Amino acid sequence: MDGYIIGTIIKAILVLAIISALAGFGTYIERKVLAFMQRRYGPMHVGPYGLLQIAADGIKLFTKEDFIPSGANRLIFMFAPIITAATAFIALAAVPLLPEFKLFGMTVRAIVADLNIGILFILGMMAAGLYGPLLAGMAQRNKWGLIGAARTAVQFLSYEVVTGLSMLAPIMIVGSLSLIDFNNYQSGGMGEWLIWKQPLAFILFLIAGFAETNRTPFDLLEHEAEIVAGYATEYSGMRWGMFFIGEYANMITIGFIAAIVFLGGFNSWGFLPGGLAIVLKVSLFFFLMLWVRASWPHVRPDQMMWLCWKVLMPLAVINVTLTGLWMMV
Amino acid sequence: MSRNEITITIDGVECRTYEGEYVLNAARANGIFIPAICYLTRCSPTLACRLCLVEADGKRAYACNTKAKDGMQIVTQSEEIMEERRAIMEVYDVNHPLQCGVCDQHGECELQNYTLELEVDSQRFAIADTKRETKNWSSVLHYDAGLCIVCERCVTVCKDMIGDSALKTGPRGGAAVDKSYKQSAPKDAYAMWNKLQKSIIVPSNGTEYTNCSDCGECTAVCPVGALTERDFVYKANPWELREVPATCTHCSSGCQIFYETRFDSIDNTEEKIFRVKNEWNYVSLCGAGRFAYDFENRDVKRDATALKAAVEAIKGADTIRFGSMVSNEEALMLQRLKEKFGMKLYNPEARAFQKFLDAYAHASGHSLYPNDFREIMRECDFVISVGSKLRNDNPNARYVFNNIQKINKGAGFYFHPVGDRLVPTFGRSVECFEHRPGDEEAALYLILDLFADRKKLPKGVLNYLDTFHEKRKKTVKEKVMKEVVEKLLDKETGEEKEVKKKVPQMVEKEIEYEHNLLVERLGGDAENFDEIFAKMMKKKESFALIAGEDLFFHPHYENIAKLIALIEKSCSMKVVMTPPKSNSLGVALICELDDECEGYTIGYNAPGDFRLSALGDGDLDMPAMNQQEGTFVTMNKQVVPTNAALEYGGYELNDIMNELGMGRELTIEWTQELPVEKGFQCVKFDEMPNYYLNDGTEKRGYRLATIKRRASRSNPKKLDDSIVISEGDIAYRCNPPRQFSDFTDKAHQIFEKFALRASPERAQELGERVEVLFDGASIVLDVEADDRMSGDIVEIPDFKSGEDVISLFGESRYSKVTIKRV
Amino acid sequence: MSLEEFKDRNIGTQNYRMLDLGESPKSGMEKFKQVVERSVKLELFTGLKVTFREMYKALFKKNMHTVKYPFEKMPIAPRYRAIHQMKRLLESGHYRCIGCGLCEKICIANCIRIDTRYDENQRKEVSEYTINFGRCIFCGYCAEVCPELAIVHGGRYETSSEQRASFSTLEDMLTPLEQLAEQSEFPGFGAISPNADENVKKTPLAY
Repeated sequence: MDGYIIGTIIKAILVLAIISALAGFGTYIERKVLAFMQRRYGPMHVGPYGLLQIAADGIKLFTKEDFIPSGANRLIFMFAPIITAATAFIALAAVPLLPEFKLFGMTVRAIVADLNIGILFILGMMAAGLYGPLLAGMAQRNKWGLIGAARTAVQFLSYEVVTGLSMLAPIMIVGSLSLIDFNNYQSGGMGEWLIWKQPLAFILFLIAGFAETNRTPFDLLEHEAEIVAGYATEYSGMRWGMFFIGEYANMITIGFIAAIVFLGGFNSWGFLPGGLAIVLKVSLFFFLMLWVRASWPHVRPDQMMWLCWKVLMPLAVINVTLTGLWMMV
Repeated sequence: MSRNEITITIDGVECRTYEGEYVLNAARANGIFIPAICYLTRCSPTLACRLCLVEADGKRAYACNTKAKDGMQIVTQSEEIMEERRAIMEVYDVNHPLQCGVCDQHGECELQNYTLELEVDSQRFAIADTKRETKNWSSVLHYDAGLCIVCERCVTVCKDMIGDSALKTGPRGGAAVDKSYKQSAPKDAYAMWNKLQKSIIVPSNGTEYTNCSDCGECTAVCPVGALTERDFVYKANPWELREVPATCTHCSSGCQIFYETRFDSIDNTEEKIFRVKNEWNYVSLCGAGRFAYDFENRDVKRDATALKAAVEAIKGADTIRFGSMVSNEEALMLQRLKEKFGMKLYNPEARAFQKFLDAYAHASGHSLYPNDFREIMRECDFVISVGSKLRNDNPNARYVFNNIQKINKGAGFYFHPVGDRLVPTFGRSVECFEHRPGDEEAALYLILDLFADRKKLPKGVLNYLDTFHEKRKKTVKEKVMKEVVEKLLDKETGEEKEVKKKVPQMVEKEIEYEHNLLVERLGGDAENFDEIFAKMMKKKESFALIAGEDLFFHPHYENIAKLIALIEKSCSMKVVMTPPKSNSLGVALICELDDECEGYTIGYNAPGDFRLSALGDGDLDMPAMNQQEGTFVTMNKQVVPTNAALEYGGYELNDIMNELGMGRELTIEWTQELPVEKGFQCVKFDEMPNYYLNDGTEKRGYRLATIKRRASRSNPKKLDDSIVISEGDIAYRCNPPRQFSDFTDKAHQIFEKFALRASPERAQELGERVEVLFDGASIVLDVEADDRMSGDIVEIPDFKSGEDVISLFGESRYSKVTIKRV
Repeated sequence: MSLEEFKDRNIGTQNYRMLDLGESPKSGMEKFKQVVERSVKLELFTGLKVTFREMYKALFKKNMHTVKYPFEKMPIAPRYRAIHQMKRLLESGHYRCIGCGLCEKICIANCIRIDTRYDENQRKEVSEYTINFGRCIFCGYCAEVCPELAIVHGGRYETSSEQRASFSTLEDMLTPLEQLAEQSEFPGFGAISPNADENVKKTPLAY
C-alpha cells in the first residue's frame, strides 16, 4: 500500500513536470509551426533554433509584475488561473500515458490512477476547468473579461454535451469507462481501432475537443480581434502563464483521449512499439490543432452555438441511437 | 481745397469720389484694383513705374496723376494696357536677382506679387548688369542697390511726408538700353527702362550717409527688399512673424502699428519682437515708433513679497507720481486709488496740459480742441505752428506741417524761439519766426491780426491790434525798362548803326507801407512782410493752427488759451493741440492731478520712494506697454486700443487693485468704466477696432466726445514783457528726435544720447562737457552738436525720468541758465 | 479659412457602392445545406492544404519570406524618404542652403527651424538649422519646395539613438566634406525632372 502511495506521488510529480514542460515546449512548437506555415522562421535567436525561447519566456513570465487591477475581486482573481491549471493536470491523472513497462525490476503502469470511471472523471475534470476562465473573467472588473466569461459559460457548457454524447457510443461498444479497457479493446491491430466503428463519433469528439480546449476556430473566449484578450485581459506574469499551461495540458489530454479511444491507444502499431505509437498519435493531434489554427479563421459565437446545438448534438444523438440499435441487433 | 463729391465710372462701376482726387485713390477707395508700385497715398505721384496706366475717356492716362472729373469714364484693363504692364514687369525683372529666398521681402514683395499678377512667365529683354554695392546709409538703414527697382517711393515719402528729403536719385552708370528694343518693346516699358537704367537711390547730401531723423519710413514703403532695417537684415522671413495690431505709445500721435513677433532663435524659443510695421499709406511712423519696440520688461516672475510691499506702500503713500506712458485704464485705477486713499496724483506734464485745457474750455465753451490732425492734413493749405518744436516734439505734427506744404501746395508760419534749419526746407512758403522765449502771445496776436474776421473780434482786442500798425516809409528797388541807344558796327558794310534797345534797370524808390510791430517783435521781416504774406495767401482756402507744448507750459497759459479760443472763433481756423507726452490727454481727462509732489511718494515709471516700474529697475515690476492691453487717447482725440505683443509673467496694476479689494478680473474691464462725463464712451475693449479701410478711413476705437459748457467772455490780456526772456543763456527742455522716454532709451536701435544739444557753432563754444546751472540746482551734460539747429538756445532732454529734468525747469519749458564748461 | 467644411460631419451622403455578397441563407435548412455543401466540397481542407504546402516550401525549399533584419537589409528605393540630408555645392564644398525658409514655411508638421544672419560677406548665412524628428512625418514637402536642391531625403531610416538631437542639426545632416566626391543627387521629391529643359523658356542674356 505504501509503495502504491509513493509510486502514485512519484508518478504525479513526473506527470506534472513532464506535461508542464511539454506544455512549454508546445508553445515553442506552435510558434515554429505557425511560422513555417507562413514561411517565416519563428523563434530562432535564443539558443540553437530558438529552443531556449521557452526558457526566456518562462523567465519573463516569472519575473513579470503580478498585476491586479483595482476593483477586481482579489481572491478570485488570484485563484482562477490555479483552477484552470489544476483541473487540466488532475484530468491527466486518469489517462494512461504509455504502455506498462519495467523499471528496476518493477512493473510500472504509466497511469497515475487507473479509475474504473476514467473517462467520466476526465470529462468531469475538464468540465470543472471552465470555472477558471469564468471566474477570471468575472473577477477582473473589465468588460472584455466579462464578455470572455460569458462566452466561457456558453461555449464550454454546450460543447460538454457534444463531448459526452460523442464519447457515449464508444463507451457503449467497449462497455467500460476505464481508458485501459479502451486500449485493450483495440489491441488487435489497426483494424480493431474504434475509429472505423465510430467515425462520426470521432469527428464530433474532435470538433468538441477544439472547442473544449479553446483553440481556433473556436477560441472565442479570448478572441483578440473582438474582446482584447477576453477572460485573460487583465492577467500578466505567471498567472497568465498558468492559463496557458492549462490550455496546452488540455490539448495534450484531448490528444491522449482521442488516441486511446479512437486510434488504438498505446498498443504497438505494426513495427512501432506502443509507447512510440501513442506519442506519435498524440503529436499528430497536437500538430492538427496548430495546422488548423494556421489555416482557418474563427467562427462567430452564434455560428458556434448553432453548430453545437443544431448540427453536432443531433448528429451525436443519432449516432448513439444507431449504435444502440446496432448493438441490440 | 474744395471737397465736392462727384461720380466717375471705373470699369463700369460708378464710384463716388471728390473732385481733384486722383483716379487711383478713387479706385482704391471703391475697392477696384489698379496695379501701381510707385504711388503712395498722401504723397505726390512719381510716375516712375507707369503700371497704373488706364484709359480715361478713351485716352491713355496714369491713374496716379489723373485727377477725377465728374462723369469720367475709366477703363483699367484692355489688351494694350495689359501688354504694357506685362512688359513693365518684365523690364523690372531684368537682372533682378532671382534668389528670392535670401531676400527679406520675399512673401510680401510687390515685385513678386505683380510679376505673378501680370502673369510674367518669360523674359524677352536683356541688358548687361551693373555692379551695385550694398550700403549702410545710417545706423538703421540698409540699402541693397542690387535689389532696387528705383520706384522712388523712398525719395517721395522722405520728401512729401517726413520732410527730411534725405534721398534722391543718382546716376547708376548702367549700360544704355539697346535701341532695337524701341521697336519691340511697348512705349511706356521702353521709356521706363531707359530711366531705370540710368538711376539709383543715393543720399541727397552727396555723401555715403544719409543725414536724416532715421525714421525708417523709407524701409517701410520699399516694395522690394532693397531698403531694410539694418537690424532685421536676414534675420527672419515675413511669413514667420505674428502680426499684433497695436498702438505706438511713445508719443501722443498714437500711430497704429503692428508688432511683428517670432520665437527668438532655435536656442531661445521665447517670443521676441523683430520689427514694427505700419500701414504706410495711411500712417507714417517716426524713428521711435519704428525702432524703439524692444522696451519690454523681460524675465519677470510674480514676486508676492514685492506685491505685498507695494500694497503697503500705496496704503501709506502721500503722492503717486507717474509718467504719461500709462493707459487710460491704469490712469483710472490711479484715480480710484486717489478717491479711496486720498493721496495726491502728480504728473507735471499732464497737469500743465490739464490746466491749459481747463482754461481753454473756460474760454471757448468746449472741453477739447475742435479738429484733428488727419483732417487738417487732408484739407488745409495754410498751417501755423506756435509753441511746438516741430522737429523734436511730435513727429506727426511735423509730418502734417510738411505734407501740407508739399501736397496741398500750402504755406506755413512756424513760430519758435529755437532756430531750425529743417523747417524752412519744408516748402518755399514757410515763414519762420525766431521769437524770444515767452513771447508766444505775440504770435497769437499776430494771427488774430492777420486772419481774424474783424467783425467777430471784440472791440478791446481790435483796438489793441491797431496799436501795432504804423505807417512807415521804405526804399524799394524797382525794375524799370529804360530805352538805351547803342551804336553797332555793321561788319559787312562798315557802317555804324544806331539801335534802340530796352534794358531793365533797378531804380530805388521810396514808398509808404504799413509796418507791423508784432512782426518786428517776433523777429520777422516787418518791412517786406506785406508782400511775403500776400504771396503766401494766394489761393489759400483753409487754415489750421497747431498749438504746441510750449503754450501749455507758458506762464500766461490762461491768456494763451483765451487767445486760441478767440482765434478759433474769429478766424475760421482749424485748431489742434499736441498733448505733451504719450497719454497726457487721457491722463488729463481721467485723473484729478495735483500741483505738487510731497511726502512718501510712489513712483510709477517715475522717481519716487517706492517704485513701480516697467523698466525692470523698480521695487515692483510692471508690464511695459508692449506687454499689456489698454487704451490710449491720441492727439486726434481718438481712444485707441493696443494689444500685448509679448508675454509678461509678473503683476500688473490691476493685481495691486485686487489686493486692495478694488480690482477687476482683467485690466481691460476698466475700459468700459472710463468717465463718460469726460467724453469717453462705455465701450468694451474687445469691441474696439484697430485698422484702416482702403480709402484711409480710420477704424480705431472711438472719438472722444467734446463736452460743451458756457464760455466766459473776458478779453485776453495785453502782452507782458516781463515774462519774455531776452538775454542770457537760455535752455529749452526738448528731447532729440526718436527719444521720448526711458522706454525709447531702453531700445537697442535708438542711439540718441542724453546730452545737451546745440547748434554746431554754439556747441563749439561750449566744448565737450558742460554744467548747466538752474536756480538752485544743476546738471552736468555732454554737449552734442545738432547741425539742424541754429541760434544760441540749447536743448536739454527730459527723457530720462531719473534725472528729473522737468523739475529743474519747473513750470516752463524755457529757463534762464548759466552754462559752465567742465 | 472658415471651419465650415470641417463642421460638416454629415458623412454617408457620399456615393458608397454596395458589394454583392449573394444571398445569405435564411431558413435552417438552407443553412444546413450550406454547411453540407462546404463540407462536402472540402473547402476547409483546401485551407489546410495551402498552409501545409507553404510549410513544405519553407522547410524543404528554404523558401522563406523573412529578412533577418539587423543582419540582412532590404535594398531601399532611391526615392525613399528617410532622415534628411543637406547637400553641398560640388565645386566649393559650401552648403547649398540659402536660408530662404521655404522648408520651414511648408513643413506641415512645423518641425523645421532655421536661424539666419547677415554675415561679414554681406550674405545670408545659415547659423543653425534643425529638424525636430519627433515631429517630422517625412512627407517630403521640404525637399520638394527647396529651390536649391539643398535639403533632400536620405536613406537613413534607423532613427533610434540616445538623443534625437544627434542627427537633427545642420552639421549632422550635411554631407561630410571628405565624402563630397561621392555626394549624389536625390531623385525623389524636388529633383529636376528628366525633361526639365523642355519645360523651361530660356531667358535672353546680354553677355
